[in-house]
Amino acid sequence: MDGKKLKSSVGRMWSHYSFIFVMFIIMIVYAIAISANGNTFKWSHIAAILGSQNTCIVGTMALGMALVIITGQIDLSIGSSLVLTTSATIVAFNMTDSILVMVLVALLVVGACGLINGLLVGLAKMPPFIVTLGTMLIYRSLTLSVVRTIDSSISGSNSSQFAMLRQNSKYNFLRMQFGTGKLQLGGFSVPYITFVFLLMVILFVIISKKTKFGKSVYAVGSNEKSAHLSGINTTFVKIAVFVITGILVGVASILQACKIGNITPASSGQSYEMYAIAAVVLGGISMSGGRGKLLGVLFGALSYTTINFIIVSIPSLSVDIQDTFQGLVLIVVILIQTAGPVIKESIKTAKRRRLSLSEE
Amino acid sequence: MAKILEMKHISKAFGGSKALSDVHFDMEEGEVHALLGENGAGKSTLMNILTGVLTADSGKIVFLGKEYSAPTIKEMEKAGIAFVHQELNVINDLTVADNIFLTKEIKNKFGLIDDKEQVRKTRELFESLGVDMNPNQMVSELKTSEKQLLEICKALYSDAKLLILDEPTTALSTDEVEHLFSILRKLKSEGKSFIFISHKMPEIFAIADRYTVFRNGQYISSGYIKDVDAQKLTSDMVGVNYVDADYYEERPLGEEILKLHNFSGHGFSKINLSVRRGEILAFTGLAGSGASELMQTMFGVLPIEGGYIEVNNQRVTGKIGSFMKHKISMLPANRKENSVIPDLSILENFCTAEHVLSKKRQLINFKKEEEKYQYQKDKLKIKAPESSLGIASLSGGNQQKVFLARWLNTGAEVLLFDNPTQGVDVGAKSEIYRLILEFAKQGQTVIINTLEIPEVQKVADRCVVFYEGQIATILDHKDVNEQVVMAYSTGAR
Repeated sequence: MDGKKLKSSVGRMWSHYSFIFVMFIIMIVYAIAISANGNTFKWSHIAAILGSQNTCIVGTMALGMALVIITGQIDLSIGSSLVLTTSATIVAFNMTDSILVMVLVALLVVGACGLINGLLVGLAKMPPFIVTLGTMLIYRSLTLSVVRTIDSSISGSNSSQFAMLRQNSKYNFLRMQFGTGKLQLGGFSVPYITFVFLLMVILFVIISKKTKFGKSVYAVGSNEKSAHLSGINTTFVKIAVFVITGILVGVASILQACKIGNITPASSGQSYEMYAIAAVVLGGISMSGGRGKLLGVLFGALSYTTINFIIVSIPSLSVDIQDTFQGLVLIVVILIQTAGPVIKESIKTAKRRRLSLSEE
Repeated sequence: MAKILEMKHISKAFGGSKALSDVHFDMEEGEVHALLGENGAGKSTLMNILTGVLTADSGKIVFLGKEYSAPTIKEMEKAGIAFVHQELNVINDLTVADNIFLTKEIKNKFGLIDDKEQVRKTRELFESLGVDMNPNQMVSELKTSEKQLLEICKALYSDAKLLILDEPTTALSTDEVEHLFSILRKLKSEGKSFIFISHKMPEIFAIADRYTVFRNGQYISSGYIKDVDAQKLTSDMVGVNYVDADYYEERPLGEEILKLHNFSGHGFSKINLSVRRGEILAFTGLAGSGASELMQTMFGVLPIEGGYIEVNNQRVTGKIGSFMKHKISMLPANRKENSVIPDLSILENFCTAEHVLSKKRQLINFKKEEEKYQYQKDKLKIKAPESSLGIASLSGGNQQKVFLARWLNTGAEVLLFDNPTQGVDVGAKSEIYRLILEFAKQGQTVIINTLEIPEVQKVADRCVVFYEGQIATILDHKDVNEQVVMAYSTGAR
């Protein structure tokens, strides 16, 4: 009897928090891959996952992407917005040497990017896929065209990229202490930027679960018409999620500036929108909108980073083929997550059918 | 007469709860058989078993002499059973003929679809049925009633011998229902049989030959329609000795609360109307009369094109939100499309409208919301398990009560109900009437838009009949009857 109870509560956990199981399974695979290479799996491996660009920077943006997807929309422009904003952030820092101005510029530029997306989608009623596909091209190309013409004392670099000026007085603090620094917790060390990501996760879990706005995001994605007829300003909600995504991209671009110290408009942030979508989906959030937990994004981002690490850790895979495996693993994991319940149901039905036949 | 279908000892359980226990159902050739029961009585489960969507836990089906124990959907389709669902399954972006031949396309010698032949055959089919529809028209341009007919024609083309009609008349006007029935009678004489699921008694008595009643997953009774009356069927369905109570009572009315002055919008113009506090007003009129559009404009769903609306002597303009601030609320028609938020829980569905009004305080106080929900739950007698479950776990009637509660919880003074008893079973229907009268007694003003005159007679102080976007007449409670209302709403008077 107790065994049954345990089984059913594990089953419930599985259906509500499958993303946690998925992450642990992927972690175990990673541990095996590492020992196969003759190393031992240590905390430093986990710390590397926690502090990775794919976890903190993509993960932060993925929180916004999750909200956008829950309303039944999509934002393809976040990779390009990240490039544009990080560039603006670095320029602001190089020119003023002020952390406050830097943060303000990051949030303003990216808030504007998000607002443009939101207004075109919400007010002009254009499909978000097309709008953000367009702005994805625009935001990156704008940055590219500027980087080649701008003076190197402002861009901080001669080689078609924006880099933070080392001679600025705050450089050391931002890059060395914050961006790449770690907090020592007992025997474990965790990068500071991971805490920024975790803070954002906590904030957005609260917004999604405990606020009226959060509930309206789900309502709009679940049935926009019903939401509208119960008084929810659906246009506002649809615009708001884009602006929030923008602000999160702003946070991500500060992390990018501090962690990496530079950005290359031609190549940085490439496919980040796809990585963010992958993290959202691995986090168990439904692409059709209305369903999913923001907490899932944390585990989704960790899972995605780990998948990357596993693939990179296999020495026989050339760089060129790595994306193929990334794609395959992603498809398989999602297949298990979404097709699992369907398969379970059809097995049950077949069983019943057999039983009812044998009764004859 | 020959039995074409027998379902014996059918049982089915979902998890722990029994949806059907040892029920029987049989059909004769060429009959219309009314399958009756409240929502949750097991009708849908039985039909799903018959069509192979679900597999019964025990029992067997004999159709046209062949025995089935666990048939698949394909098998039953082949055997000649067609299910015309309540939700329309026609495809809007194809033509009428394309829909009829969907998955059964006629091909020419190149293996491409032979449009001409399909159109010709469709025309033949329509002629034989007396259906007036253009085979080349896009389905998106059809009225709901025409889509319903199309769905039935589609089933007939597939040469079904037994058709299941699940509430086929919900979207039809009286004329259209009559037309549908004349088609059914014709087909019946050709030997087709129909299982007719409906909550509307007059229709059952107009078309059905026999009936079977289910209650709580159990077989209750069956027999010939000519041997029974509505009272007997209703009491079989509801269980207790049901009385078709006259809820109406005269009450003192308050001051003017709502005023329309030369109010114009999509489909109606220059409407002048004054409604008093505590009054129950009915809007009625055929599709296209403007009644439903007027109601939606009074809640900011559709734009005001002229004149004004006043509530408590204050003009209201803008979107839904500002109408809500002026204590107007609207329970829209088509519950599933316009009220249900399927991914949210019962409690979350309950709270949506109130959240809009109290959005200045963003943090949700879950304890308080649960209390408010429990209060309304008791008041409206909502039958529901924990409030954290999905809204879809409730029956139609109880869902509708949750949405009533959604609006009561906003403290609204004017309640607009657009077709509130659509797809709701008899028991829940009568409870909704009772509630409407209760609201009015407490000083709330209720306006119902409905096509069902008996509903109007049960509750309304006055009945506004619309014809072509204008008020044709306003009838007092005592003057409301089906003939008079029909005369005004068809422009005969």
